[in-house]
Amino acid sequence: MRYLKHLVFALVVFGAWEAGGRFGNPDVLPPFSAVVAAFVDILFGPLPAALLESLRLLVIGFSTALALGVFLGLIVGRYRWLDRTLSPYFSGLYALPTVALVPLVLIWFGFDLSGRVVVVFLASFFPILINVYQGARDTPPDLLEVARSFGVRHEWGLVRRVVIPAAVPFILAGVRLGIGRGVVGMAIAEVYLRLSGLGTLIATYGSSFQTAYLIAAILPLPFLGIVLTKLLALLERRFQVWST
Amino acid sequence: MSTSPLSTPANGGTSGPSPRGAWVRVRGYARDMTPPALALLVFLAAWETLGRLTDPILFAPPSRVWSGFLELLETGRMQRAFGITMNALSVSFLLSVVVGLPLGLVLGRWKLLSDVVEPYLDAIYATPRVVLVPLIILWFGVGYEGRVFLIWLGTFIPIVINTAIGVRNARRDLVEVATSFGADERQLARHVILPGSVPYIMAGLRIAMGRALVGVIVAEIFLDLTGLGGIIQTESAYFRTHRMLAAVLVIALLGTVLIGAFGWLEKRFAAWKESAASS
Repeated sequence: MRYLKHLVFALVVFGAWEAGGRFGNPDVLPPFSAVVAAFVDILFGPLPAALLESLRLLVIGFSTALALGVFLGLIVGRYRWLDRTLSPYFSGLYALPTVALVPLVLIWFGFDLSGRVVVVFLASFFPILINVYQGARDTPPDLLEVARSFGVRHEWGLVRRVVIPAAVPFILAGVRLGIGRGVVGMAIAEVYLRLSGLGTLIATYGSSFQTAYLIAAILPLPFLGIVLTKLLALLERRFQVWST
Repeated sequence: MSTSPLSTPANGGTSGPSPRGAWVRVRGYARDMTPPALALLVFLAAWETLGRLTDPILFAPPSRVWSGFLELLETGRMQRAFGITMNALSVSFLLSVVVGLPLGLVLGRWKLLSDVVEPYLDAIYATPRVVLVPLIILWFGVGYEGRVFLIWLGTFIPIVINTAIGVRNARRDLVEVATSFGADERQLARHVILPGSVPYIMAGLRIAMGRALVGVIVAEIFLDLTGLGGIIQTESAYFRTHRMLAAVLVIALLGTVLIGAFGWLEKRFAAWKESAASS
């Protein structure tokens, strides 16, 4: 019963789409059934290999961004002068759309996998970094004091026992933002730098006006973004319960 | 009913700072700003040296970037591009607000509708706009309308979602008071729900501004080679890295100013909410 309303609304949306496609120009908006047929066709054709290639790029770029973002974020968050020195650049680079840097990445790193990885890295690095350093900076001072008075003397001990656990919700929020932007970066890299993965499919179908196939090749991207973001939101909720 | 409790200005009646206090503040500010200023100098010097020692195409040094900026200014290209970018940016942002606010208000008040519509909004929001470029070319062509649509598509959704959240979080006691004084749905929206959701709407506008900025550059690079994005793309194709970087810096500055301004507004309205909630 809970899904009935979704079913009804989906019937309305996709019914209208189908009708619009049948009565209009199918090159502009192919009917929904044609998109489904095209999706099934590429599902048993080039889609799995393309998706795998895209995912490999996403995983390499995102995990580099995660590792460096958490590491640098903790360091910058622990030292006020570093925070004050570097945070203007971070906010500037965060405010700058990653696309604007892509031509530069092309000149520096070329068309290879390394260039594409750098684009994904740039897209997801800054939200992670900024969230981690805000989390590390705002560690409750009373917790730090308690830890010190109980004999945790070394910086690393404080970071491991107090700063990181207190920053976990911030880190996870950064990861959630970072993975969403990473998917965007992946799409930009695969369309702009060198056609690869899903980018190849989209560009090929787009330039040959196979609109049904074009929409079918776009569909995995929102799906990927939503699934990854929802998974991380679940993880976040678990840790929020744990931290209170 | 002429003044709602939420619109009362929170004035703490702070006294002006003493001259001595101001001097201490200036000194503290100077001390705080010294490491960043030094770091900026070191960074620029290192970049300049590296750029002069190596290929200027790879690391165009700051002096070359500055001259590239002046070249673009002299020919008037920078001003024209800035105008084109700002035009598309502001028109699509306004369109996003015009569509996003009412839709968010409706979705926030009507749970059934928001339950069924929001998954689709999420899906559109999660789609990278670059991959929609071939579709947008089919639908609108590569001109101004296509660019505005591409920017708008990613920008109106955060406004809708945040407005709906703000409306849902309207204080139930205020809504009850208003309805028991005979307010209808329109008066309720105008005097109670919208003022209460302003902090959420402000957060939505800030996020939307960031998305609009990304959208305008994507549109100018992939759809229609104009504006600041067009300068980046054309100049990098001819390996004139210094001019490309000048345009990148202008975009970074523009983004920092715009997002900073909306962040400031958001903070102001958040404080207004707290003072209203505590009183």
